[in-house]
Amino acid sequence: MSLTREDVFARLTPLFRDTFDDDDLVPTEDLSAHDVEEWDSLSHIRLVVAIEGDLGITFTTGELAGLENVGQMVDLILAKL
Amino acid sequence: MTALPAVGTRHRLDFTIDAAAMEAFARLSGDRNPLHGDDAFARAKGFDGRVVYGGLIVAQVSRLLGMDLPGRDGLWTGLSMDFRKPLYIGEPATLDAEVTESSPATGLVRLAFTVRAGDRTLARGRAESLLRP
Repeated sequence: MSLTREDVFARLTPLFRDTFDDDDLVPTEDLSAHDVEEWDSLSHIRLVVAIEGDLGITFTTGELAGLENVGQMVDLILAKL
Repeated sequence: MTALPAVGTRHRLDFTIDAAAMEAFARLSGDRNPLHGDDAFARAKGFDGRVVYGGLIVAQVSRLLGMDLPGRDGLWTGLSMDFRKPLYIGEPATLDAEVTESSPATGLVRLAFTVRAGDRTLARGRAESLLRP
C-alpha cells in the first residue's frame, strides 16, 4: 500500500472520530491523549485495533509504548506500509 | 497468562434456563415484568409461555468470556446484542462464539456470537475482552 502522510491522516480521521465519539475531532501531528478527554487506556487500545484493521498492519507492544503524539504514530504507520 | 486466542477460534456452550434461575434473576434484578413471570400474560402477548430474561442469556455470554474464551485473564470491555426470538424455560439452547479480531499488541479480543435453540436463531451479538497480564 502506498500512502502519503496526508493520506494516512485522512484515513485516521474517521477512526479517531469514531473511537472518541467526536465528529469534529481532527488528528494533527501534535495531538496527544492529553488533548482529548475521552482518550483513556481502553479507548487507546480500541484506536490501535481500529488502525490495525483499517490499514492491515500490526503493531507490537514495544512500538506502541513510546508513542507521544499522533505524528509519531503516523511515522510508525508509514514505516509499516 | 491466558494465551491470546487466534482469529477463528471457536467455543460452544450448551445451556438450559430453569424456573429457579428465572426466580433468582427476578429477585436479583427487580424485573418482575409478567412476560417473564406469568404464563397466561405471556400467551396473551403471543408467546408460547413465559419468556426467559435476556439478562440470563447475557449471563451465558459472561460465562463463556470469563471461563472459556478468552478465559480467566480477560476483562469484559464491550457487548452489543440483538434479541430476535424468545427462549422459553426448560428449552435447550447453545451459544456459539468465534474470535473475529485478536490484537497481540494490545491484548484486545473481539468475538461474534450466536444463540440458538433448535433451528431458531434467538440472538446475535459481539463482545470484546481485554487480556490483562
